[in-house]
Amino acid sequence: MSRGLGRSTANRAMRRSPRDLSERALASWLLLPAFALLGLVAVYPVLNLMVTSLYELHLAYGPKGAFVGLANYERLLEDARFANALRVTLLITLVTVPGAALLGLLLALLANLPYMVKWPVRLGLLLPWAMPLVFAGLIFRWFFESDYGVVNDVLRKLGLAPLFWLSDPRLAFWAISASIIWKTSSFVALVLLAGLQSIPKEYYEAAQVDGANAWQVFYRITLPLLAPSLFVALVFRTITALQTFDIPYAMTGGGPGNATETLAMYIRTQTVENLNFGYGSAMAVALFVLCMATTALYLRFLQREEGE
Amino acid sequence: MRVPLFRLGLWLSGLVLVFNGLFPALWILFTSLKTEAELSRIPITYWPDNPTLANYQRAFREAPLARYFLNSVVVAAGATLLCVTVSAMAAYALARLRIPYAGGFLLSLVALAMFPPATLLVPLYQIFTGLGLRNTYLGLILTHAALSLPVAVLVLYSFFKTIPKDLESAALVDGCTRIGALRYVVIPLSGPGVFTAALLAFVNSWDEFLLALTLNPAKEMRTLPVGITLYQGEYLFPWPLISAALVVALVPVALVIALFQERIVAGLTQGALKG
Amino acid sequence: MVRLLVGVLVALLLASGALAQQVKLRVFIGGQQRPDVMRKILDVYEQRNPGVKVEIEVGGATSDQQQQYLTTVLTSRDPSLDIILIDIIRPAQYKAAGWSEPLDRYLPLGARDALLRQYLPAYVRANIVDGTLIALPAFADAQFLFYRKDLLDKYGFKAPTTWDEAIRQAQTILQGERNPNLNGIGFMGNISEGTVCSFLLPIWAAGGDVTDERGRLVLTEDMARRSLQFWLDLMDRHRVSPPNMAEKAQDTIRREMQQGRWIFGTLFAYAWAHFQNDPDSQVKGKIGVAVMPRFEGGRSASCLGGWQWTISNFSRNKAQAYRLLRYLSSPEVAKVLALEASNLPAFPELYRDPDVLRANPWFADALPVVLNARARPVHPRYPEIADVMRRGLNAVLARTKTPEQAAREIVQGLRTIYGQ
Repeated sequence: MSRGLGRSTANRAMRRSPRDLSERALASWLLLPAFALLGLVAVYPVLNLMVTSLYELHLAYGPKGAFVGLANYERLLEDARFANALRVTLLITLVTVPGAALLGLLLALLANLPYMVKWPVRLGLLLPWAMPLVFAGLIFRWFFESDYGVVNDVLRKLGLAPLFWLSDPRLAFWAISASIIWKTSSFVALVLLAGLQSIPKEYYEAAQVDGANAWQVFYRITLPLLAPSLFVALVFRTITALQTFDIPYAMTGGGPGNATETLAMYIRTQTVENLNFGYGSAMAVALFVLCMATTALYLRFLQREEGE
Repeated sequence: MRVPLFRLGLWLSGLVLVFNGLFPALWILFTSLKTEAELSRIPITYWPDNPTLANYQRAFREAPLARYFLNSVVVAAGATLLCVTVSAMAAYALARLRIPYAGGFLLSLVALAMFPPATLLVPLYQIFTGLGLRNTYLGLILTHAALSLPVAVLVLYSFFKTIPKDLESAALVDGCTRIGALRYVVIPLSGPGVFTAALLAFVNSWDEFLLALTLNPAKEMRTLPVGITLYQGEYLFPWPLISAALVVALVPVALVIALFQERIVAGLTQGALKG
Repeated sequence: MVRLLVGVLVALLLASGALAQQVKLRVFIGGQQRPDVMRKILDVYEQRNPGVKVEIEVGGATSDQQQQYLTTVLTSRDPSLDIILIDIIRPAQYKAAGWSEPLDRYLPLGARDALLRQYLPAYVRANIVDGTLIALPAFADAQFLFYRKDLLDKYGFKAPTTWDEAIRQAQTILQGERNPNLNGIGFMGNISEGTVCSFLLPIWAAGGDVTDERGRLVLTEDMARRSLQFWLDLMDRHRVSPPNMAEKAQDTIRREMQQGRWIFGTLFAYAWAHFQNDPDSQVKGKIGVAVMPRFEGGRSASCLGGWQWTISNFSRNKAQAYRLLRYLSSPEVAKVLALEASNLPAFPELYRDPDVLRANPWFADALPVVLNARARPVHPRYPEIADVMRRGLNAVLARTKTPEQAAREIVQGLRTIYGQ
């Protein structure tokens, strides 16, 4: 990386102070801390994980592992429980990402209104996200318990029959999804609210002068300017959805049977409970590949949108 | 007339927002004032029959809750500071400077976020034990900062991208160095972005459980989530006690949010963007 | 002058000797295993063994959380722990993973059997893996049949000896009491370790088991199906249990029973202290303890619990750790735990000790139960075995699988694990 004064063609147009660093030098310095931090905390563990996935390392059979190449990955392809976990994870993602996006957008739009007292609204917006995930799952399990849950209590008060939310596979799926949507829409709303707030008021004023109605304002000003924030929120929401663990773990433990077991839960079972580190690592890498593929899809979509 | 209807609509939407966000927190608050016996009652009660503060007393008696609180504050504040600084630098570089590998860096950043921390526990444990950073503030601060880095960078990146380039170009034309432009133009404008990223990092760290459990298990170094789960027993889950501890854990976060939200809103589109 | 010199020399020698022997040991226990009582026990040890300092490391409130933490520490071969308190289901796993130091090398030949005979018989099977002694008991636990003495007395019943009796008693009482909040037989059905015990109880009660004495799988689909059908029938046919047992965790049943809502409950020993001592308990003095009912022609057996001490294979002070372990697993310490923490002792003789009985009168009733307790399958892949069993039962209780389907899957799953 060259330091000192650089002179790329584009910069000649501007007069620059001779004390200025070249763009690339500056960039290197600015990016260095991030590289260092991630290198320590993420890169080594990830590499370690990938290497472990190439070994047959099942502590139930002894502490030493043997190199087996891609055998763990081949096993994945035939593992019915893995296929089930994949199915559950994808379903949860397909439901909770749009769900959180829609609810988050609604909440952000509502939160953006001119309230006289702002802080309770903003607090209500953000508190779900602030609650530790560990406890959110347990609280929602309580809400959906057939005997002591608030949900069934409300149903009873409305004269309806109480439901077995946590022991019926389909109901459990929806209970879990609702909980996840509630919790994660808060984060989406935060990102969108920040985006909403950064839309210059002049645009709205100009639209008003031009006589646009609320829907047109939303569709042609708000949404397009929200797009980058929405994109960021969606990407992260999707990745976290693919890694869903805490809420179903607390609510059903993956039950009934394996009906609500996600990939992250199955990975944990294999590594921490079964001590099958080789296989568990392979699954973690598979999950990573899944996340990458999804992000690539998002990027492809983004490129197409920007190209238009 | 339109105005009262608008006011009513405003009130309603405000109530909806507040209720949506707060009902579990309210439930926890009410539970913290109940006794265990009341929880097994059918039909269930909402407001406690005989509100009692005994759970709060027990919470502080049975565990050093105040110390856990302090630890969480130190770790979260440290992680936030570190994360925001590092990610602001990185995001600016990616958004404003022409770097050939910018896209690749962003992608690998996001990629690293794709490994659930649970799968990285064993190597992380080895690293931090090897560095002697187990049961220290620094180790957990580094970890938490790194955890929030991808999100913070991306949020700040998209923020920096919305700041018009003209402003910086103008500053550069006026004889400012790049770093000067950064200091006098970009940073003041990036308030909301920085606060968003800071809030993200803070809450992520405050709530983080698994790594805090693994890296800082010693009693005097535990953070709140770890300490609170320890009120459990093998079979016992004392909800009233844990709720009291949860309230203690959540109130400061709520305060931080209530305070921060002003800053995020204030002074956003004033000043520079008026041209 | 000479005496002074000699005195100084002797003092110096003693001091250096003591310093040279300064050993630091670290003991790991779970958050709810009374670190306060353990500290007192260890203080006594330190007094008797100058030069040894023992620290306690507390981690994780539940068996799961502790396992998570210990897995991380032990996989990293961290020497920071010397002695670990592990759940009864772990010794086989620890041996296979190379996490435990085998205790045989510290015991002269023949001494091992004499030592193990002091404990409750079931712990022999649980702590010896492939002929190697891996751990020694810290304290015992077992699954009891708690019942409402007052209700049974009201209808002229004695504690049931067979499940048919229990069902009939429950039905009679339910009809007589006409209390919509009262339920008959409480058992664990959610995804948790307790549900494994639920699955095993009827199999044992019929006289069978999952494995034979040599550890080979002998469970048949028919035996599994009967067990699953038994619990399902309690809900659907005999109607002595409510229809949502798939959700029930052990502590839910305990709390409900404490509020007087169960006639029978299959719970572990911790429940007793709550029934008797909790300020809000509605059943104080009304709870009786009995051995698990059997089926006709079968035997009475309940699930063995308890925690064991093992030496970490990565410890740097194994010899000293062994000495500490023998102390921790001694009748003396077991008595302290019984008196201060109400832990069931692993030594049968302590159940007749007058001091212990004075503090815990119910131990007299507890003794037959712990003598009858059986260990869950001892296998390095126990977590997978447990997973297969409890998911099967959970699915049947949630009515997502029939007992036949679930039994087939359970046995197939077990056959894969046992390699048969």
